[in-house]
Amino acid sequence: MLKINSVGLTISAVPLLNNIIIDCPRGSVTALMGPNGAGKTSLLKVISGEHKASQGEVEINRQSREDWKPAEIAQFMAVLPQSSTLEFSFTSEEVVALGRTPHATGTVRDAEIITAALAKVDASYLAQRSFVQLSGGEKQRVQLARVLAQIWDHCECEGDASTDGILLLDEPSAAFDLAHQLMLIEIVQQISARGVTVVMVMHDLNLAAKCADQMVFMNCGHCTAVGTVSELLTPELIKKVFSVDAEVITHPVQGTPMVVV
Amino acid sequence: MKVLNTRLITPRLCGLLLLIALPMVSLLGLMTGPVFISLADILSITLSGNGGNSQEKLIIEIIRLPRVILSLLVGSLLATCGALLQGLFRNPLADPALIGVSAGASVGASLVIVFGSMLTANGLLLGLSAISVGAFAGAIITSVIIFRLATSPQGTSVATMLLAGIAISALAGAATNTLSYLADNDMLRRISLWQMGNLQGASWDRVGLCAVTAGFLGLLIPREARALNAILLGESEARHLGVNVEWLKRRLIIYSALGVAISVAVAGVIAFVGLMVPHVIRLLVGPDHRALLPLSALAGAILLVAADALARVVIPPAELPVGVVTALLGAPFFLWLLVVQRRRT
Repeated sequence: MLKINSVGLTISAVPLLNNIIIDCPRGSVTALMGPNGAGKTSLLKVISGEHKASQGEVEINRQSREDWKPAEIAQFMAVLPQSSTLEFSFTSEEVVALGRTPHATGTVRDAEIITAALAKVDASYLAQRSFVQLSGGEKQRVQLARVLAQIWDHCECEGDASTDGILLLDEPSAAFDLAHQLMLIEIVQQISARGVTVVMVMHDLNLAAKCADQMVFMNCGHCTAVGTVSELLTPELIKKVFSVDAEVITHPVQGTPMVVV
Repeated sequence: MKVLNTRLITPRLCGLLLLIALPMVSLLGLMTGPVFISLADILSITLSGNGGNSQEKLIIEIIRLPRVILSLLVGSLLATCGALLQGLFRNPLADPALIGVSAGASVGASLVIVFGSMLTANGLLLGLSAISVGAFAGAIITSVIIFRLATSPQGTSVATMLLAGIAISALAGAATNTLSYLADNDMLRRISLWQMGNLQGASWDRVGLCAVTAGFLGLLIPREARALNAILLGESEARHLGVNVEWLKRRLIIYSALGVAISVAVAGVIAFVGLMVPHVIRLLVGPDHRALLPLSALAGAILLVAADALARVVIPPAELPVGVVTALLGAPFFLWLLVVQRRRT
């Protein structure tokens, strides 16, 4: 679904990404991890089309990123940025409605989707509130509802869309409380089961371990390691990438690997 | 604490109220002036073409009707362009003066006032005086300079445009001041009156020019409403929502430069309408451009007609510059609205 073929990125003579190769099959969840400045967000921006790759290319649905028109790609790919700077007092409902901009599905269908998307991120009670007055976590939940609304047909109705959905998330859980972090994981699992390919930048190794099919460790613009959660979560790799001494134990109930520092 | 809706009224109600106010204010504009003309006379003159006495008929047909229509058109152009620029800059405080268009127009007009006597100052082009042509040229030239300065291969930077606009405004202000310094007393008076805006020069030619511009923009601008909503989230967010942001910015800049340049050319610098009207409408019905753009156009028209009517009756037989009145009327209302808004939240 999404292939990153030897992508390099150089901006103002500064190399930000170097020979990145990642393959994200349909319905997979990929977690991009690494220290600050490793190039995670830059990679996400190359995929979303904000930066043009200096070398290599991103392939979406067997077609080069360059060949997609913005209006076409917005039909099935949504991007959640790290933070938003909305100065105008839209209500939360109106912010989510902006997610329907690429579609012409009509006001009735859009209203249904908006209500459902807000409910999905536990933000129904915020629908009529002014977005600018919300807390950081509430804003991020409403923005999550907006990107879900954008690719709603791919998230909820399997199979009838011509292309499967892609969702790019940049530190989606940074502002969330514990319960909403788990809500995010559940949503990611749900939509990936419906065929949506998810790529997300995450800092919390344990949270990523809960839902990622594939982990990518990045450092200084390079891909240090790509593999499954159990392949990557080792004390040696964590030491190498994050310069932190950590133990990896097994979750007593779920059996997933856990990083303890 | 549960805040339900932060909006004061619905867009529908707002539109209805404005549509009721528009003809009422327009009639008021036709009635008031040095010679008072009764409502009955106005209706018989405008609807059947006769009635009233011949003097009243002349006043309506040659002076007041074109003036009221010109105010309607200029008011709606200024308010709509203000709304466009505020959306483009994602800043509710942006207005046409901010990107240097008004300052550039002032330079153009002042140049013609000071040096125009050497040219054929009485020549008219589409009903525009040489001063208007100078103002239009000044506005368009500054828009182009600022746009060029802000555009690089990476795209047009809105932040650079804002800074360039401030710098160009300062430069243009210095040029206008120099021209004022060189000017004699009569020229000086004309420069400063022009900068306060007035609709005295209204004529059917000018109405035609403005109507064509307003009609053209009125067809094109509403199509951008959804994209403008998306761009309020941020440029990259809008791009991810499928909006071709670079072309959108170019179109918005062209539309607003054209709208502002035409209104400045026919009516001088009228402050505050472009800044305040969209802001007030946004406080009333929210920032959705699908409602904001048409409602701003209506409210801008109403405000300017009302201000112009007032300008004619405050100190008879003289007239106040309409720009002074828009500020006198608008600013207290704006402040009141801000206070109300703060109490509600």
